[in-house]
Amino acid sequence: MNLDKCLPLTETTFYILLALKEPGHGYYIMQKVEEMSGGKVRIAAGTMYGAIENLMKQKLIMAVPSEDKRRKVYQITKKGEEVLQLEVNRLKQLLNLAQEIGF
Amino acid sequence: MMKKFKVSVDMNEEEKYLNEMAKKGFILKKYSAFGRYHFEKGSPQDLHYRIDYRLFKSKSEFNDYVALFEDAGWKHVYGTIYSGSQYFLPVSEHASDDIFSDKESKARRHERLSQVCLLNFALMLLYFLIVLISIDFKLENLFFLTPGLWEMEGAKFWSAFWFEFPFMLWRVVPIIVLLIFGILYGIWAIKAKKLYNKLMVEE
Repeated sequence: MNLDKCLPLTETTFYILLALKEPGHGYYIMQKVEEMSGGKVRIAAGTMYGAIENLMKQKLIMAVPSEDKRRKVYQITKKGEEVLQLEVNRLKQLLNLAQEIGF
Repeated sequence: MMKKFKVSVDMNEEEKYLNEMAKKGFILKKYSAFGRYHFEKGSPQDLHYRIDYRLFKSKSEFNDYVALFEDAGWKHVYGTIYSGSQYFLPVSEHASDDIFSDKESKARRHERLSQVCLLNFALMLLYFLIVLISIDFKLENLFFLTPGLWEMEGAKFWSAFWFEFPFMLWRVVPIIVLLIFGILYGIWAIKAKKLYNKLMVEE
């Protein structure tokens, strides 16, 4: 399985994967992302639902058992963590390069 | 209750239409297939409808979907597992302006609509093909089958004609209806796909 295919991540996906280090349902993710981004990234409900669907399809996140009967709870998968790590490495490289040139 | 008939694949337009109806005091109660809206007369209101397009595999998936919107401050005003169109109204201060926060996800609902229309188009085409195979590709095999009907004369002809008439309708009408809807689904699939492509590149 080629993980590079998933890269680069969109800002939204990056935040969602980070948020799902801890298990949570859709609205939890929305709140968590808003909080982590200092209110800069606000994902609306319809967009959130589509993003979860995509990430599930790519197997970057999975549904986990929970007490909540109505809401599905998700968590990042092993593959999701690997993709996130690759993206972090990619971003570090870009950051280093930019710093070397004087930005 | 008032019923209105309006077909549009453009959900941005549909949202505007429902808002305008609410301004006139017609509040959406129900939406049935092929553009049939059921409104209830009430006081004129300034409402801001938002529409998503989704079908669900199970009741639990549907409940999870509705719960997410409710958590985010939206009321699910109409929609079922298989209705496709899902109608929302903001009910809380913390609801965002829209149910979508980027252009791509907002456009993608038209892509899902297009895919469903295409699937229906394909199913109807397949059914039509099966019918054609079953009659050996001879359309006359659908009409009057009474042997020697057209050679009969006078009262004998008419009694045989009228005797078979309802059976003939029973064979022909469903196929014509199916054909019409098949063509409509094909047109809607293309329209929705074109709109999706346009909205994806629009600023």
